[in-house]
Amino acid sequence: MMDKRKPEWLKVRYNAEAVNEVAALMRDLNLNTVCKEANCPNLGECYRKHTSTFLILGSICTRNCRFCNVTTGKPLPPDPEEPMNVARAAKKLGLRHVVLTCSTRDDLPDGGAEQFAKTVRAIREVCPGTTVETLISDMKMNTDALDVVIAAHPEVLNHNVETVEELQAAVRPQARYQRSLDVLRYCKRQDPTLLTKTGFMVGLGETEEQISRLMDDILDTGCDILTIGQYLQPSPQHYPLARYATPEDFARYKEMALAKGFRHVASAPLARSSYKAWEVLEDVHDLY
Amino acid sequence: MEKKITMPRLRPEMENGVLCAWLKEEGDAVQAGEPLYEIETDKVVNQIEATESGVLKKQLCEEGDTVDVESPVAIFEVRA
Repeated sequence: MMDKRKPEWLKVRYNAEAVNEVAALMRDLNLNTVCKEANCPNLGECYRKHTSTFLILGSICTRNCRFCNVTTGKPLPPDPEEPMNVARAAKKLGLRHVVLTCSTRDDLPDGGAEQFAKTVRAIREVCPGTTVETLISDMKMNTDALDVVIAAHPEVLNHNVETVEELQAAVRPQARYQRSLDVLRYCKRQDPTLLTKTGFMVGLGETEEQISRLMDDILDTGCDILTIGQYLQPSPQHYPLARYATPEDFARYKEMALAKGFRHVASAPLARSSYKAWEVLEDVHDLY
Repeated sequence: MEKKITMPRLRPEMENGVLCAWLKEEGDAVQAGEPLYEIETDKVVNQIEATESGVLKKQLCEEGDTVDVESPVAIFEVRA
C-alpha cells in the first residue's frame, strides 16, 4: 500500500478574491474553463495571473476517461455565441496566448472542429497579435474535421496521449493509443509550420521503460513539445493513483525527452498541458 | 474592523473541507497574500491566502476539523 499523504511539492496557493474575479467573468459570458471542470490544482495560480484555459463545446463530455474529472453525459448543442464570448474574455483578461480545449464531442459529425475554427477566427479578429493553442480531442481521426482545425491555423496544435500504450485501455477506454499518435502525425504532415504538442501523466502505474517507448512513439510523429505531469486522482471513484513521482523523477524524464530530441519539454509534478503555455511557446520560438 | 474568514468552496461540488494545518498563530500579523491555513482536497493541499492585511485574532477550529463551506474558520482584524 502506497503512502497516500500528499508530498510537500503538491501544495498550491489559493486566493479567493483573485479566483472569484476570473470566475465571475466566465459566468457572465456563459463560458467554461477546464481549470474549473477538471478541478485543476493550478487554478489559484493561473486565475491570479489572469490566465485560464477555455473549455469550449460545453462542460459535458461524451467519453468517460477514468482519470478525468469532466462530467460525462449527453451534451448540449454548441453555443453559437461561444466563439465571440471566448474572444471577449481573452481580451478582457489581456491574454497574449489563448488555450482552447473541449469536451470530446463524439455526438457531433465534425467532433466540434468548426467551433474550434470559429473560435480561433474570433480571437484573431478581437485580439490581434494573440497566439492560439488548440488542445483537441482525437475527433475520431476524422481527417476532414482535423483539416478544419488545421486551416484555422492555431500556432500550437495539442492533443494529449495521456498515458503509456500499456495503460490506454484501462485509463481512456474510448480512445486509442495509435489513433492519438496518428492525430499528431497527420496534423504535422498537413501543416509542418504548426507546432505540435502532447502530454502524458505519470503515477498511473507505468514503468520507466514504458515511458521511454512512449516518448519514442511521440517523437516519431514529429511532435515538437512535450508536457509531463503527476496524475492526481480526482476522487476515490477515479483510476487509482499508483505513486507520487518526485521532482527528481520529473527532472530525469525531462532530460530523457530532451536527449531523444524534443524541442521543448515541461516536466514537473504540477505541469499540465496548458500550464504556462505562453512561456513554452516563447521558448520554442527562440529556437527558430 | 473585525471580519470572519470562512471556508472557501474550492470546487462546485465541495460541501465541507478538512482544515489540516494552521500556518499562522492567534495574534500573528498577516500580510495580504500570505497563507493562513491549509485545506486538503482530493488532488492537492491548498494553502489559503489572506485577502487583506491584518491580525489573526482567533482560530475558530482546530487542525483536523471538518468545516462546512462558508462556515467561519477564523476571526480576522483587518488593518485600517
